Amino acid sequence: MKGFRVLKAVAAAATAFTFYAAAQTNAAESVKIGIIWPLTGNAAAAGQASKAAAEVAADIVNNAHPELGDLPLAKTAGLPNMGGAKLELIFVDHQGNPSLAQQLATRLITQDKVHVLMGAYQSSCSFTATAVAERYGIPFMVGESAAGNITGRGFKWVFRGTPIASDYARTYMRFFADMKKQGKKIDSIAIVNENTDYGTSVADAIVEEAKKANVPVALRIPYSASSTDVSAQILQLKEKNPDVVIFISYTADSILYMKSMNNLQYKPPMVIGDDTGFSDPSFIPAVADAAQGAMNRSAWAIGKPGSTTYKINEMYKAKTGRDLDDTSARNMQSFFALADAINRAGSTDPEKIREALTKTDLKPEQLMMGYQGVKFDETGQNILAATYLIQLHDKSYELVWPDNAATAKLQWPMTGGKN
Amino acid sequence: MNKIPALSPTVLLAVALLIYPLIFSGAFYLDVGVTFLLAAISASAWNIVGGYAGQVSVGHAMFFGLGAYAPLLCYKLYGWTPMAGIPFGIAASVALAILIGIPTFRLTGHYFSMATIAVAELIRIYFGTWDLVGAAIGLQGPATARGWWDLTFRSELPYYYIFLTVLAVLLSFTYLMERHRFGYYLRAIKVGERAARSLGVPVQQTKIRALVLSAMFTSVAGSLYSVKTGFIDPESGFGILVSVQMVIIAALGGAGRLYGPLIGALILIPLQTATNTWFGGGGTGLTFIVYGGIIVLIARYEPGGIYDLWEQISPRRWRRKHAS
Repeated sequence: MKGFRVLKAVAAAATAFTFYAAAQTNAAESVKIGIIWPLTGNAAAAGQASKAAAEVAADIVNNAHPELGDLPLAKTAGLPNMGGAKLELIFVDHQGNPSLAQQLATRLITQDKVHVLMGAYQSSCSFTATAVAERYGIPFMVGESAAGNITGRGFKWVFRGTPIASDYARTYMRFFADMKKQGKKIDSIAIVNENTDYGTSVADAIVEEAKKANVPVALRIPYSASSTDVSAQILQLKEKNPDVVIFISYTADSILYMKSMNNLQYKPPMVIGDDTGFSDPSFIPAVADAAQGAMNRSAWAIGKPGSTTYKINEMYKAKTGRDLDDTSARNMQSFFALADAINRAGSTDPEKIREALTKTDLKPEQLMMGYQGVKFDETGQNILAATYLIQLHDKSYELVWPDNAATAKLQWPMTGGKN
Repeated sequence: MNKIPALSPTVLLAVALLIYPLIFSGAFYLDVGVTFLLAAISASAWNIVGGYAGQVSVGHAMFFGLGAYAPLLCYKLYGWTPMAGIPFGIAASVALAILIGIPTFRLTGHYFSMATIAVAELIRIYFGTWDLVGAAIGLQGPATARGWWDLTFRSELPYYYIFLTVLAVLLSFTYLMERHRFGYYLRAIKVGERAARSLGVPVQQTKIRALVLSAMFTSVAGSLYSVKTGFIDPESGFGILVSVQMVIIAALGGAGRLYGPLIGALILIPLQTATNTWFGGGGTGLTFIVYGGIIVLIARYEPGGIYDLWEQISPRRWRRKHAS
């Protein structure tokens, strides 16, 4: 009969849950933001880091932080246009499952009665969750998803604060043009990309922009991020000998590439990593000896002590013990843009918030990121998003491009390793 | 009088499922209901070959995925209603079932399971690099409906009743199959393949027919999923978790039983939802710990499935009731 007791417990749990959400009450004057991220599963690390960043951002909005300069809503406690209303965050975990993301978006809208939504990291989950928001007419801020067509599907309620694959590709091309002006030789490039949605979409965008910019792509190598041997790919690169190799890689594979290149004595004039693997905390300690001068992109820079970004980083560090990373920082910036729009709307009415979002116009000095601003086009994409390029100098990345923001001098060609 | 006790649980169940949307009218509860029905459909489809015939396939995602891709592919290529793709999904699944059934049914036990996993994984990887089907990024359905025929509804209610109808058809079919000679063949194969063969059961042919039937319904389940979700990528179509969920649900409820998968889904889906609702937001992974713990408990105390448990209990209750 023990089994029967288990059955009863399970049944009780199932019934209890159905009454749970119904019993939740609405807090009157706060603004509810439902946030859908992968808090467990493959991308849990990114989701968790972003969750901490969103909590820091909510703290900055909800409490008075006059030390943070021009950052909107930092000086005051709460949203001034709404009588100091606070932001209330509700986090849910979609586990990287698009169908679950859809269900959770429905739950946040119909049960928790959130006023706006934000998410969802993986592009697959952003696709399904934004479709729900569109059906219910709730503004959805896509904090950080790469796939180009999340915006541009004719949706009215979807906004994206982060740069996307084509922005990054354009940045690389601008950088190459700049380098050529300085007399560096860039006759051909190679693209090495992991073969899931992230690597594929960024590589596609680079190929397209390269064609427009007349930069010949000598070679494109898609590979599986779980590979344990990449010497075949490196020998291919060695044979074509491109002037720049762009890696779109996750962590373990980017480390493997850098180490194997060093062992096989292959050193292209320049290596550029597309964030992700190159930004992972474990990357620098693993390859510092092998990949000196490797470049990476980041829209986030900690900045000099005393600057707004430096102070934000200190707040984040106090909470998590780590420096703020580019992914979480981009999510945080999207969060601020959303909060700013809610404040300007002066109401929790979804239509008013949507309208305020379309009128968003944040200037560079109001941002924590290296964008040229935040302004959404009719598809909801931020047209002023941009990124910095950084370079591995010794044991840390230094901002080296564009020149007006640079904190260190670009080294070209890269030094590489000892071999 | 003899028939009523056998019939009444079915009637009760049918009534409960029919009126569920009237009681829980919130969109979220309906969505949970739809998820439950979908899980029940795919597990019941798996049950035909995995339960009745005892050929434990752990690669049924291959049929689910084909069924899921077909409607959205038709929409992407020709702008047809996703519904038009369902027959293509079924046709592709049937072809695949015959193609892989012939070699793999020569294997038995774990080897058959491993072969099915391998095929499903191959297809998943292939779809992940195939540009026509959107490669790793996947396919999307119509964002907003052009008409009812797009089956893109704002409300979950139409999905609920469409899914319920499919489940009813599938269960009626299984019910008839159970009583047909074919059903006896399947059970004979499950109990002992050699013995069945020696009694004149066409083993190879029966197994392939079971796989084809199972593949057809699994493919329909996949189509329903992608039409409702409006999105499919290699992981959500062909991922190993899709296959494993079918097996777990059927095994939990009672594999090879008519209502086994339904009962399994009735327990597992609310449990999943409840643990995620309560513990999901913290990001501690507690969802999986609680969920896994309950599965361990059930496996430890009642590995034959809930249905078996019921069959042990109910005669005793019946006797007690009628003893006096």
